[in-house]
Amino acid sequence: MLDIRDLEKRWLHYKIKSYIPHAVIALSIIVILSITLFVWDSSDTPEQITSRDKISSIEKELDIESIISQNNSSTIQKPTVVESTKPIVEKTATVVSQKMLIKPSLDFMKKMQSQTSPYYNQSNHNQMITPKRKKKILQAKPVIEETQEVIVDEADTKVEKEQAVEKVHKISIKRRNAKDDIAEIIQRFKKNNNPALSLFVAKKYYELGEYKKSYNYALLTNKINNEIESSWIIFAKSLVKLGEKDMAMKTLKAYIRSSHSNNAQLLLEDIRSGKFQ
Amino acid sequence: MSSSIFTASKEVFLDVVNHKDYVQLDRVSTIYQSLKDSIKKPLKMILLYGKPGTGKSMFLTKLYNDLSSSQIVHLYQTPILDEGEFYKTLAQDIFAIKYSGELNFTQFMKIVNKSDIESIPVVLLDEAQLYSDVLMEKIRLLSDTRTIKFVITLHKTEKEDLIAKEHFQTRIWETIELENSSPAELKIYVQKKLMKANCFDTANMFNKKSIHTIYKFTHGNYRDTNKLLYTLFDLYASYEESHQLNSIGTANVPTKLIEMAAIHTGLINA
Repeated sequence: MLDIRDLEKRWLHYKIKSYIPHAVIALSIIVILSITLFVWDSSDTPEQITSRDKISSIEKELDIESIISQNNSSTIQKPTVVESTKPIVEKTATVVSQKMLIKPSLDFMKKMQSQTSPYYNQSNHNQMITPKRKKKILQAKPVIEETQEVIVDEADTKVEKEQAVEKVHKISIKRRNAKDDIAEIIQRFKKNNNPALSLFVAKKYYELGEYKKSYNYALLTNKINNEIESSWIIFAKSLVKLGEKDMAMKTLKAYIRSSHSNNAQLLLEDIRSGKFQ
Repeated sequence: MSSSIFTASKEVFLDVVNHKDYVQLDRVSTIYQSLKDSIKKPLKMILLYGKPGTGKSMFLTKLYNDLSSSQIVHLYQTPILDEGEFYKTLAQDIFAIKYSGELNFTQFMKIVNKSDIESIPVVLLDEAQLYSDVLMEKIRLLSDTRTIKFVITLHKTEKEDLIAKEHFQTRIWETIELENSSPAELKIYVQKKLMKANCFDTANMFNKKSIHTIYKFTHGNYRDTNKLLYTLFDLYASYEESHQLNSIGTANVPTKLIEMAAIHTGLINA
């Protein structure tokens, strides 16, 4: 009679031993895969950096705009306010007519809104913002500015929503703020010659209907960095507003040739068809 | 299922060479028939070779039993290593000459040449690799006289190919190689062997999977298979004796039990 217990023990031992190579193979596959994934991931990082370099101007613009928005939350918030308070703007006299003139460049405003919105989301709700952007914002500006801006934002929006009668006053307040802020940004621009600042100034002047100034600042931006699409668009729009339609078209054509910008193409078509005047 | 079935099944796989245990497999039958045909041909020597456990001894035993009724045939399963003893044994068995003194090759050749036997006697030598080269050379010279036909079996080892040896290369006229069985043949072998002993229940316990597992350990070698299955049924008997048969089941042979048998027989180094 065989010793079954001993044989069963030896069998169990054999089974465990036979599974070891499989376990080792499986483990090594997992390790290799994870290493491969890690290497793959790390090899992706330089590409991300290069792509970031390519759009550095846009990124800078974003950063600067977010910095500016901290100081001038009321002015940056303008696009959203314009949309929500459209009927009220229509009711007002001369100021309203100026704002109506801004309407053709609504795409540009939407773009600006989309660029600035993550910041607002972060400041108000701490949502919909990537960690990278978060870092940049924190690095770019002092914390005090952030808190100040948040307070102004909330105050402005609350007032706009609750008291429709006081809207006219608010607009005037905003303008005053905008002008002050523009002056401050111009000072900062003079110090560091940042094209994002000059572009911001150009955009703000365009919004305020000061097309000559917006033309000048857009021109300055283009001289510093001739690859910023929005700067060329503001430049062309300002030219149209100043009655230099041909010049605007010529400029846009030249820019489209070098950049193949879709937005520039759209604007060119709008100018050509007379949609944008 | 009574305990006698497992014990009886175990006895089926006892490693003994008995022509009654010979299992008829298609390929093996063809080889056997060609061996029988070769005996009829005027060949000097027939070499049967293969790895240990491929059934060479069984072949010789079967051949001896089949031919003994029709012609003079002598089987020497154990090699006679002493040369004088070898000649004396042959002289006595084939020519019925009892030699009391020493018999050398020259004297034996005289006996062979004077022989008046009508049919050529067949001498079957098993385990011929144990004979010395000198004796093998003399066996070759005896076969050259065409008065005695030799059928010898050899182990084919991995290290040296015996057929390549000089005295076989030039003098063997018929060589037959025996190989291990295939998985399909192994199944037939196991089941036929069990059914021959009326162990139908245990024969039905072997399915494709269990045969494949057995083949994995034995590589179709008949001797290893016999050893493994002997232990397997011994295990069944042991489980039955300790009233644990239900824990392993009797519908099919579980892989665990085959592996346990393989561990016990040393086919698995655990």
